[in-house]
Amino acid sequence: MSLNTFELLGGLVEVSGVSGNENNVVEYAKGLLDKYGKTETGVLGSVLCKVGEYYENRPDMLIDAHIDEIGMIVTYITDDGFLKVSGVGGLDNRVLPGQRVKICTDDTVLDGVIVSTPPHLSHGDKNAADIDDICIDTGLTKSEAASKISLGDRVYIANSLERLCGERVTSHALDNRAGCAAVILALDMLDMSKLKYNLCVMLSTQEEVGERGAKTGSFSVKCDKAVIVDVSFAHTKGESVSQCGELGKGAMIGFAPSLSREMSNEMKQTAEENGIPFQIEIMSGKTGTNADVIGVSGCGAKTVTLSVPIKHMHTPAEVVDMTDIENSAKLICAYLERN
Amino acid sequence: MTDMINELRVLCAIDGVSGSEDKVREYILERIKDRAESVTVDALGNIIAFVKGKRSPKNKIMISAHMDEVGFIITHINSDGSLDIAPVGGIDEQVVLGRRIRFGDVCAVIGGKAVHNLSADERKKTVGFDDMSVDIGASSKDEAKKLVSLGETGTFCDEFISFGNGRLCSKAIDDRAGCAIMLRMIDEGVECDTCFAFVVQEEIGLRGSGCAAFAVQPDIALVLETTTAADIPSSSEDMRVCELGKGPVVTFMDRHTIYDKELYKLTFDTAAVNGIPCQTKTRIAGGNDAGAVHTSRSGVRACAISVPCRYLHSASCVADENDIENTYKLAKQLLNRIYDL
Repeated sequence: MSLNTFELLGGLVEVSGVSGNENNVVEYAKGLLDKYGKTETGVLGSVLCKVGEYYENRPDMLIDAHIDEIGMIVTYITDDGFLKVSGVGGLDNRVLPGQRVKICTDDTVLDGVIVSTPPHLSHGDKNAADIDDICIDTGLTKSEAASKISLGDRVYIANSLERLCGERVTSHALDNRAGCAAVILALDMLDMSKLKYNLCVMLSTQEEVGERGAKTGSFSVKCDKAVIVDVSFAHTKGESVSQCGELGKGAMIGFAPSLSREMSNEMKQTAEENGIPFQIEIMSGKTGTNADVIGVSGCGAKTVTLSVPIKHMHTPAEVVDMTDIENSAKLICAYLERN
Repeated sequence: MTDMINELRVLCAIDGVSGSEDKVREYILERIKDRAESVTVDALGNIIAFVKGKRSPKNKIMISAHMDEVGFIITHINSDGSLDIAPVGGIDEQVVLGRRIRFGDVCAVIGGKAVHNLSADERKKTVGFDDMSVDIGASSKDEAKKLVSLGETGTFCDEFISFGNGRLCSKAIDDRAGCAIMLRMIDEGVECDTCFAFVVQEEIGLRGSGCAAFAVQPDIALVLETTTAADIPSSSEDMRVCELGKGPVVTFMDRHTIYDKELYKLTFDTAAVNGIPCQTKTRIAGGNDAGAVHTSRSGVRACAISVPCRYLHSASCVADENDIENTYKLAKQLLNRIYDL
């Protein structure tokens, strides 16, 4: 493995990409993908990379990971120069008060702080902040703020990638830069002479607001089969053991009515044959991932999900185990090279 | 950025949760060792530095600021390697979830159930300390025990930044701002003999300052602090307590102290005479070391000058650079007027 997982992932989380505003991270990812194939950007911003030679007699395979992240969008500037915001994607409002944020303007990135209400005003109530009550302290007056910040600018909570114990790491946006890292690692490991598919990799936009980048991107690719690489729940305090995977136990292979049972079984067999650790994730209908739209794109495609287990999803304190990313990459690679 | 603000940056980066102020104390002792006539560290860990002036004043003066900050203490290590923690000092649970904290060099994150898996009711509630999961990345109790121990304290790890127009954001501005001001005053020297006390355990009940005052036996005490500014959009004018950018805060009464009236007036007069902006606290709330100091022995005349600070006791205290500079100026000028009061 020539790529270092920590450096790869660290670089990917460092560049912002709140849904609809993924340009920076897409450009960064294109730079990483260039050496594996020709890249192009779709109308909604997803990056597509065609890998290897095209053969008429081979099935077309799409490997997808969404590259966008949740965040906020500026809707109003108050008389005191504070920003009002709306959520972009499934924000966890409980974690917002007191957090540092980055405000992404056209020219630059500004720092801000999300207001936390002092106890004498909250009267000790235990209600989590509603997004309508959230304000961002810019340290600026209204006119200063209005000259620098535009309505519609994205805001996100930034945390650089940090090592925890062992191979575990924490950051914001591991949903789904962890998936992006797994896909790029897989390309890096892939033996092109063994590739059994016409392969296209897609790092798609706007998943967090309803799988929109994957919908249009997969239409333009027209695949027979697709592997969707995302994150899924790892067990932590308060979560149900039966509905979660575990950190460090390998990628979670999805089984669901909306997925191809054939592909799920193939993926499981591939893992078993190659001694790659894996877990099974059962979903009872759709998956809540890009597989839901890719599977019914055009005249349809067979899909399977591979999920990197993650703790504290949609918070700036997400945690993944880097071995799960590496094992996801190995599994993708082995699947692509399998007869 | 002035030297004092730069030193504040250094001070804020040092972790010193109440009862574990050692590293802050080491830094301050090193800084003042050649500048104070005598330095003692008492049983609780307070630093009492006697700085000689050109003469002895009529009144014995003690200036104090607290070294400790709010934080967390490890109360249990679970079989899955996660930790249970309790707050040290008054930390509102709303500013804890989703945060990165550290126990020494060991990084931890505070999380819980993912938002996707919450009931509608759960989504609307803050998460209590008992329901938080503190994760250092360990997958077993044994692995965790190699890195942390029960009773170890930790705090937020957000860095000191300056942002907006002259605003500073960091953990622990409460009360490293007071420490930074006192260090500058010691560097510059004083007119008359003065005791500088860098005290411990303010955040868990004003515990260090009372002992320091008992030992020093001051006639007049000046407490340098930070105080809650609630000048946020949701707050009406009467609920704002004080506002950023309007100068140091001088208090007539809080939960622990009814301040000496003459000193209160003298502080405002000193500000006016020297053209220093100054405001009073518009709510009877909070408290500081003056509470323990003014009731020491047979009583001590006390006043407090505070830097207004938003989001106090969070990872992101926000203060105004000019307010800190003006707090320093006012403290320095006031000192010269209380020596012979």
